[in-house]
Formats: sequence, C-alpha cells, structure tokens
Amino acid sequence: MSKGLKAEKEKCTGCQLCMLVCSGTHVSKFNPSESRINVEDKFPEPGEFKLNYCLQCDEHPCVESCPVEAIVFDEGLGIYVVDKEKCTACGACVEACPYEGCWLDPSGTYSIKCDLCGGTPQCVEICPKGVLKR
Amino acid sequence: MADGYTGKVLRVDLTSEKIATEPINREWAKRFIGGKGLGARYLFEELKPGVDPLSSDNVLMIWTGPLVGTMVPLTSRYVVITKSPQTGTFLDSYAGGYFGPELKYAGFDGVIIKGKASKPVYLWIKDGKPEIRDAKNLWGKDNFKTEALIRKETGESHARVASTGPAGEKLSLIAGVTSDLTRNAGRGGGGAVFGSKNLKAIACRGTMGVEVPNIDEFVKMSKEMLLKDVVENPDHAGSITDGTPIIVDMSQNAAILPTRDWSSGEFEGSAEINSDAIKTRVLVRRKACMGCGLACGSWSKARKGMFKGASTEGPEYETIGLSGSNCGIKSIEAIIKFAEECDKLGLDTMSAGSVTAFAMDLYERKILTKKDTGGLDLKFGNEEAFAKMPAMIASREHIGDALADGSKRAARKIGKGAEKLVIESKGSEYPAYDPRGSIGMALAYATSDRGADHNRAWPVAQDAYGSGDPWNPDGKAAICVEDNTRTSVKWSFIFCDFYAVSFKNMAKYYTAVTGAPADEESLRSIGKRVWNLTRAFNAREGFTRKDDNLPERMEKEPLQSGKTKGKAVPRADFEKMLSEYYKLWNWDDQGRPTKQTLQEAGLGDIVGKLPYLK
Repeated sequence: MSKGLKAEKEKCTGCQLCMLVCSGTHVSKFNPSESRINVEDKFPEPGEFKLNYCLQCDEHPCVESCPVEAIVFDEGLGIYVVDKEKCTACGACVEACPYEGCWLDPSGTYSIKCDLCGGTPQCVEICPKGVLKR
Repeated sequence: MADGYTGKVLRVDLTSEKIATEPINREWAKRFIGGKGLGARYLFEELKPGVDPLSSDNVLMIWTGPLVGTMVPLTSRYVVITKSPQTGTFLDSYAGGYFGPELKYAGFDGVIIKGKASKPVYLWIKDGKPEIRDAKNLWGKDNFKTEALIRKETGESHARVASTGPAGEKLSLIAGVTSDLTRNAGRGGGGAVFGSKNLKAIACRGTMGVEVPNIDEFVKMSKEMLLKDVVENPDHAGSITDGTPIIVDMSQNAAILPTRDWSSGEFEGSAEINSDAIKTRVLVRRKACMGCGLACGSWSKARKGMFKGASTEGPEYETIGLSGSNCGIKSIEAIIKFAEECDKLGLDTMSAGSVTAFAMDLYERKILTKKDTGGLDLKFGNEEAFAKMPAMIASREHIGDALADGSKRAARKIGKGAEKLVIESKGSEYPAYDPRGSIGMALAYATSDRGADHNRAWPVAQDAYGSGDPWNPDGKAAICVEDNTRTSVKWSFIFCDFYAVSFKNMAKYYTAVTGAPADEESLRSIGKRVWNLTRAFNAREGFTRKDDNLPERMEKEPLQSGKTKGKAVPRADFEKMLSEYYKLWNWDDQGRPTKQTLQEAGLGDIVGKLPYLK
C-alpha cells in the first residue's frame, strides 16, 4: 500500500501554506517553487486546485529510470527519497513519473520530491482545512 | 540581509525605457514598514504637487511589505499607490491573491513607474531581471485573456499578472488593477493610471524566495499563530463559515443596506442575495489567498437562468450591496454576472455598482432616457439591462461614457439636478453602509485619505452591528482616530482586513521578520506617522475642511422604514464630529496637520515641503 501523503483535494482552498512550510523546512526560506508539494490554481475553468506530490507508489518508475541510482530506499520511513548528492538533475525521474510527483528545483541542480519530512510531514500539520493526511 | 525585505526596488521610466534596480530606503523602511506607509513616503517625495493624475508626470507604484510571501497568515498582499485620478488624493488600493508574494520571490519589495510609454507595453520581471515588453497583442484584451496570453508568451505557466482591462485603457476613473482573475486593487482608478501610461500589466515570476532571521523559530511561531490567532480566533468565525456576504443580513437588520440608489436601508429581496443564497445556490468551493487559513472567498457559479455559467470569486458584501440591493437586483446570479464582467473589463465593482444604481435612479426620474442608455430599459431591478452596464461603462458607449468617470463627474455632465443626488466623498462612491443608520460612517467616509472608504475606519462595527448608539455623534471621532491608527499599521505590513490582529501580535511578527524590537507603542507611533503623512499629502494638494464632505441627501433625505425610519445625518452633528476629529489629531481647523503635529509624528523632514505651513 502507498505510504505517501493522501489528499482530499476537494477540500483544498489554495492557500499554499503546505508549500510555504515545505520550503521553509527544506530550504530555510519561503519559496513555493522549492516546495516538495505543488498546488496550482486552475480558474476560471475547471475551477479547482490541482495537487502534485510524490504518492510513493508501489511501481516507483522514478527509481528504475534513474541512471545514477540517486533515488534510494529509506529503511526507517519505508519510502523512496532523492539522494541530493548523487542526483545529476538529468530529469529522467520527472519524465518517468506518471503522477507529476517530482520535478527539478528552480536552479536545476537536483530533483525534488516529498520525503515526508523524516516522518512528520509539516504540510499535514499545517493544512488549515485538513486536506492532507499521512 | 535576512529580514523579510528583498532589499530591492525596481525603478522604471517608461518614457526613456530605462530600468534600474536600487536598494530600498532602509531608513524609511524602519519608519514606515512597507505597503501604505513606505509607499506614501516615496510618493510624497517623488510626486510634484498639482500633477494631473493621468499625465506622464504621475508616479505609479506597487509595494509589498516585509511579511509578504512569508508563512505569516493573511499577509499575501500588494498595494497600488499613486495619485488617484478619481479623487485627486493619495491612493492606496490593495489586492490579495498571489501577485504580491510573487513580486517578492521575483526579487523586489516595490516597483516605481514614471513617464509614459510611446506604445502599449507590459513590465515583465523574472527572478530579478526586469524587461519592458511590447503589449500590442494585449491591448484591448480583458484581464482574463491578458493573464493567459502573458503566461503563453513568457512560457511561464506560474506567472502572476496585475493588469488593467479595457476600462483602464479607456481611462475610466473607476477602473482598478486586477490580479489572479478576481483579486482587485479596485478603488480610486489605479487602472486608469496604468492606461494613461500605456502600461497594460506588470507580470512576474520568482523562484528566489523570502528570507527571515531565524527560520525554525519563524515557522514554529507562524504555525502557532495560524492555529491560535487565526483559525481558532472567534473574531474570524464568520470569515471561515461565510466570508463578507454574512454582512448582508446584518445590514438588512440594521436597515443600512443601500437599496435603490440609497432611497432605502432595507431591501425586500435581501434573502435572494445574502450568504445563504450563495451557499445554497451558487457556491462551488471556498477559496483562499496565499497563506490564509480562513479562505473567506467563495468561488461561485450561476447554475441556471439567463446568466448560467457566469462565475466569480464572491460576490463580496460590497459588490452585493452596491450592485445588488442598490440596483434593486434580487438575483445572486445576476450579481455574479456583473462581478465577472467587472473583473474581466477591469472595473471596481463598488463604483461600477454605484454608478449603475445612480443611472437607474436618474432613468426612473426621467433625467436619463432610452436615448442615453442605448435603448436599455434601465429600471431598478432589470437584470438584463443591469448586466450590460459594465460593458457600456468600459467601452464608454452612450451614458457609459459619463459613468466611466464616476458618479460625481457623471452628474456634472448630465446636469438637470443630478448633482444633488450623488452619494460620494471626494468623488469616491460611498461603500455599502448607510450613515443614516450609523452616523460615524459619515465621518469615516469624509475623512478617509483616499475618498469615501470603509477600510480606514469602520465605526459601524460598534453601533449598528454592535451595542453602541448609531445616531449619537459623541465618541465617533475617537473611534475613527483609533481605527485610522490601527489600519495604517495593518496596511503597512500589509495585513488583510479580515485578520483581527492586535498591536501586540503585529509587534511580535515585526520582530520575528526583521529581528528588530517593536511593541504596541512603537507601532502606534508608526500608525500616527502614516496617517499624518497621507493627510499632509492631501493638504499639499489643496484639500481642506470643505472637501471632508457629507452628501446632501444624507442630511436632507431621511430613510423610510425599519430601524432607520425617519433618520438622517444632522449637519450640526456631522460638523461636531469633524471638529472633534481634527482636534484629536491635533490638526488645524481646516483639517491639516500642523508643524508641531508633524514633528511629534516623526515627520519633521516633510514640514518644509508643505506650502500651507509657510
């Protein structure tokens, strides 16, 4: 079973607090474009929010696609995470993921995807509308 | 420096096409924070008095504040600051959404624009790199299409755009600046200033982020405050459950809901346009601005009838009051259509609603006829005609040409007694709280620095909506002074109106983001400084007591029903409040800050620049 975040996207209001806290925690500044979760406002049509993040799917095509084995299994969390040092930002994982769950950071130096904040996802804690669950 | 500011200001001269990046004035940032205060200080310095607001000499600015783009809730705002072409006063007009944070992520605390482009252009900012681009293909396009086209042209699907619509291009004085489709710096005619400069839009995309002194502490504090001071704060309950439409019933009960061009304070169709109507008939989902835990916005869609398919965020209370009940419109779907048209065309829904109500009134009085309306039967409550008005105003066709300049100028043009019917102060149409059932609002409107306004003081909260006496003038000046001081600080951070944030907590945020000490007293000093500064700006432009006006009908035309039956605003009470208000601010009898007052407010440096003090 998937170990990633779960979202009831119908409840999302687009406040992007998840993106703010994610970047604040991961890169020490408030920078939504460096967040590991992405919320896009799609208005006026279809009039909804699109949520992208790593589902930690069972097939993990990102892992198979990586030429340098930079997406490694974290025993403690039981999920796949990006080893920033190994990653060459080739973008193969971004291509391979059918869920738009990972992307390159804005400087194009490595692939970013959800690492569940080491077990306590900050976005889940902060979401004021209870959209996100672990 | 990690203190919330990007530290950079973008300066653009559209005439010479010169662009430069300069450091923010740090001394002013300490004295005025950001947003309203800092923008007012820059405008005071950079704008010569007496300039025609639609000439190339006017200065157009966008400002953010140190908290904008951080995790602190309800601060994702920007302000358009310029000299208003509608009122001739200082103008600060705000919008939420996502544009303000994006400007900071793109590297700038503010943008200062002067001159006039020789042909339509837009300003594009990507990660600290600004560029003036051709807007030939955007000119004439509505705000929705403009955003989509800019995203396509720049290849940046996440670009944020603040643009002027066709109304602003045609120099409508009630044209606002629109961002994120439905978020508007609506009041005062900022969109016309864009248009006058051949500036279609300011668009940005940023991936540089905002830094604060101690990120771990900052995140912890923001999380705590979001929960305790925002989500669980009982003052915010209505914003979470309903948003501003909750006020419709409050105003109806207090009989201060503007109805059929201010002829009544009660509207028999209020149940068709209130929050319940929105929730049961048109609500699609709740929508938030960036970083907000309240999500007061309602994305709504007309599901049936002649306006089926129309959608908007809201409609908000002011839109409902001024374009709904005030136009005799008993359909929330019709108001959605009206708001959608206004957002696309770039019209302030408050003023557009007000001038439509005014035109309906003149039509019913036979001062206007079908010849003026292009054949429309512009009676109160005619939904079809009503929904066509934004397009007529934005295109300046028929009577729309006069209405596009706001009701005060339109009345002068129309004549035949129309002048005596206008409900405005300094040329800005009244917000949707009838002072005949909340006398303090007459003072709030008259003394607002940008013309009639409800976001500089809101005494109605304490009387018509509270337990105070709505008709007793005593104490209303003190309420306005306190509100002016508090909102001047809030709009300098820039906090949202719907955050009932205390001085103590604003000081806590200030210290967390800048690392510098602050307390209630230091922030109050800033609030007083800012309010004196904008008042001095207006005084320098020649505004005096006579401009702090009360519309004749508020005095001479009592309301007819409910709690406000027989009530008006007695002239003597109004003058008494005004004198008391000037006295509390230590201004002269013309309502101008004195030398001593300015010095005490830490504005000694502007004294020499005010001719009335010589």
